[in-house]
Amino acid sequence: MSRQVRHLLGTVAVIAALLILPRVIQERYFLHVVVMAGIYSIMTMSWNLLAGYSGQLNLGHAAFFGIGAYTSALVAMKLGVSPWFGLLGGGVIAGFFGFLLGFPSLRLSGPYLAITTIGFAEILRLVAVNWVDLTRGSLGLSGIPLLTPIRVGGLKLEFYFERDYYYVVLAAVLFTYFCMRRFTDSEFGVSLQALRDDEQGAQSIGIHTSQYKLAVFTLSAFFAGIAGGLFAHFARLVSPDTMSLHVTFDTLTMTMIGGLGTTAGPILGAVLLSLLSEWLRTLEDFFKMDIRLVLYGILLILTIRFMHGGLVGVFQGLKERFSGYGRTRNGGADHG
Amino acid sequence: MESLFLQQTLNGLIIGSIYSLIAIGLTMIFGVMKISNFAHGDFAMVGAYTAVFLMAWLPGWMGWVGSVIAAAAVVGILGIVTERLIFRPLLGRWTDIDIIMVSIGLFILLENLAQLFFGATPQMISDPFRGATLGVGGVSTSMLRLFCLGFSCTAIAALQIFLNRSKLGIAIRATSQNRFAAQLMGVDINLIYTLTFWVGAALAGVGGVLYGTTFAVHPLMGAMPTLKAFVVTILGGMGNLRGAIFGGFILGVAESLGGNYLAMEYQHAIGFFIIISVLLLRPRGLFGTREGT
Amino acid sequence: MAEILKIENLTKYFGGLCAVDDVSFSLAENVITGLIGPNGAGKTTLINMISGAIPPSHGRILFNGADVSGRKAYAVNNRGIARTFQVVRIFSKLTALENVLAGLVDRRQKGPWSLAFASLVRGVAKGSYNPENRRAAERLLDLVGIGGYRDELAGNLPYALTKRLEIARALATRPKVLLLDEPSSGLNPAELVDQIALIREIRKQGITILIIEHVMKVIMDISERLIVIHYGKKIADGKPEAVYTDPNVVEAYLGGESHAAR
Repeated sequence: MSRQVRHLLGTVAVIAALLILPRVIQERYFLHVVVMAGIYSIMTMSWNLLAGYSGQLNLGHAAFFGIGAYTSALVAMKLGVSPWFGLLGGGVIAGFFGFLLGFPSLRLSGPYLAITTIGFAEILRLVAVNWVDLTRGSLGLSGIPLLTPIRVGGLKLEFYFERDYYYVVLAAVLFTYFCMRRFTDSEFGVSLQALRDDEQGAQSIGIHTSQYKLAVFTLSAFFAGIAGGLFAHFARLVSPDTMSLHVTFDTLTMTMIGGLGTTAGPILGAVLLSLLSEWLRTLEDFFKMDIRLVLYGILLILTIRFMHGGLVGVFQGLKERFSGYGRTRNGGADHG
Repeated sequence: MESLFLQQTLNGLIIGSIYSLIAIGLTMIFGVMKISNFAHGDFAMVGAYTAVFLMAWLPGWMGWVGSVIAAAAVVGILGIVTERLIFRPLLGRWTDIDIIMVSIGLFILLENLAQLFFGATPQMISDPFRGATLGVGGVSTSMLRLFCLGFSCTAIAALQIFLNRSKLGIAIRATSQNRFAAQLMGVDINLIYTLTFWVGAALAGVGGVLYGTTFAVHPLMGAMPTLKAFVVTILGGMGNLRGAIFGGFILGVAESLGGNYLAMEYQHAIGFFIIISVLLLRPRGLFGTREGT
Repeated sequence: MAEILKIENLTKYFGGLCAVDDVSFSLAENVITGLIGPNGAGKTTLINMISGAIPPSHGRILFNGADVSGRKAYAVNNRGIARTFQVVRIFSKLTALENVLAGLVDRRQKGPWSLAFASLVRGVAKGSYNPENRRAAERLLDLVGIGGYRDELAGNLPYALTKRLEIARALATRPKVLLLDEPSSGLNPAELVDQIALIREIRKQGITILIIEHVMKVIMDISERLIVIHYGKKIADGKPEAVYTDPNVVEAYLGGESHAAR
């Protein structure tokens, strides 16, 4: 059985398992956690594209999430348009703001860029708090409409229950993953990584780095906006907290622990930390305190200190050790 | 009107002096070790909580002075520990992004440990002056705040003397400007790193006590001072001490006047507006130079 | 012989310091020209201006008759001038092959958006890179002698090999003019021999070469013409034998460093 056939079968098996999951485990709480993990994984994948593959330190990512959420909610509530369009619109508007945030990145990097992006997110969060006419301020928007049912053949699919919303999020996650793989494993991806590894070197081989930065900010923001829209129609409540620094920090913690700069890392980090977080919540009664975020902090520090490359890095290291590969990169070694 | 302007300016100077104090530590650490410490505000938070506990036990004058000393000591030790265990091993091996990330991890950790141990309810540091105020020609302020202003300025002045006159202080400045040359001159770099972190953290701790006397003390209070300190640091040029001092006062006054005359709700965003404009025009900050200071 | 690159009165000030002072010369097509001078003479600054890394304060750079002065580095590269750096700037987290593939991308036509779109719509069976580009990249790596390290992360390569990788990457951009900034620094005598052979091979492909060097062995061996820069000014320009004995040049090097390792 050739490598490619094995690969294909593996992918089919995974997707099949994902498709029947809600039929196998029907518990609503569990599926709720899984849906949120999926939404978070779109956030982590989009942040990873920007920070991991392009080297742009964006600490305002929650802003794109919030913009997508608010846009989608408002479009559905105030314009009466189908939430599906709102979802897409949220991504597009978020993408536009991503484009705007790309401009500071042309002149700034490192901590300067980081603070500017935080400032950007904070300003938007304050706008959400204070523009009460539009956003209802700190109360937030509630009663956000559900995604409208779709008819396929004779079936009517509704999206109220977690087990059904799961499929929307799954589709979005798979689509995002597909795009990310294609973006990163291509001429585009190699150009982004060149930009990350040495900006001057990249310019010397003809890469118009400004254009690339604007492009990747826009793309990253678009996907984060989609995640926001998905959140809006699931939780059905968005507030300025949706754009808080803590959302960004959660995203980056998950990405770092999963593995920055890898394709699987972000999803792994999002899923693992979401599950871990919920498991710890059940232990809260036992410990009499909420140690989840404390653990996040410790894990993040330990990961950077000892597990550089995140969990994916650790797996790759083990794989290399046991199969005797040289110190080369795996996974992408077989380019068509 | 006139006295409102003066009043707000005074308020701005007072809060600005606290910003300066906290920011100085941040900029020193960046200047010497090239570390952007996102947990810096949490150092202030720990200092504030030290004061809360000490004042509960020993209220009044002595308690306040004791709190400041205790905060400097406690946070100073915290600084040394984090420098040794977390930051030093990463220097030179990992990228800037990693160092920022690990400091974010520290930020999350400290914030939530505080929440765990101290609870989420805001606390106050009791006022040793018991609310006494002082008024001069249309402006007035509480004795406590005046004292904070005086204290910050004294601390800043003391730091300046230390950095300019003492051997260790000069060594710190030398390392900040050119690490390599300083080593060649016989400076023990590891000692300087630890010392810088100790001083920087202690200053933040003290600043935290002052900050806590003005605002409430709660576990999540660290985010604001962190961001404000970064704004000030960037405004003044990262690594630039004088810039941090001026920047702190500038930010304090800008927030006070801007909040009062423009929009109260966006008061905290004023700093960001300022630095975004500054960075786009002068990426090195108002006082920053081309390469370090 | 056609003039492919012409520098007219090129000057660069850094604040009050004049790093390059009114330098003019032209490069004949397909000729190897050496650029030498004591440390700090302004050679790298000159290269930086020609390649677009920094803008000139005064003067003009004409490439095939077209004025490219002040154009940004990526634009200059797209027109056909490539360079290497004194301290290598390779992409350390990419493999050697990917470093070269990054250079092979045709950026004259395709910006980030079209590349991003293309990556999404390419067929499932098709690989990440065009097979022609892949083969071209492998050939370039073989040309510079690091074909065996194709899948090695560039950051893991020994220094001498990264210098060669940078040359391969620069060649990938299909330049007509190649600017080499001290390619031989840190090489041992055996590697120098290979280096000289490589540069000759590059020239055989029709490329014009301007090479900054301190290692006299290399420079004297391969230069068909020599330009000497001292304190930002051009003090000699001609055939190597003539330049070598030029009194101005001798004086410039005396008291400075002399690498008379011949």
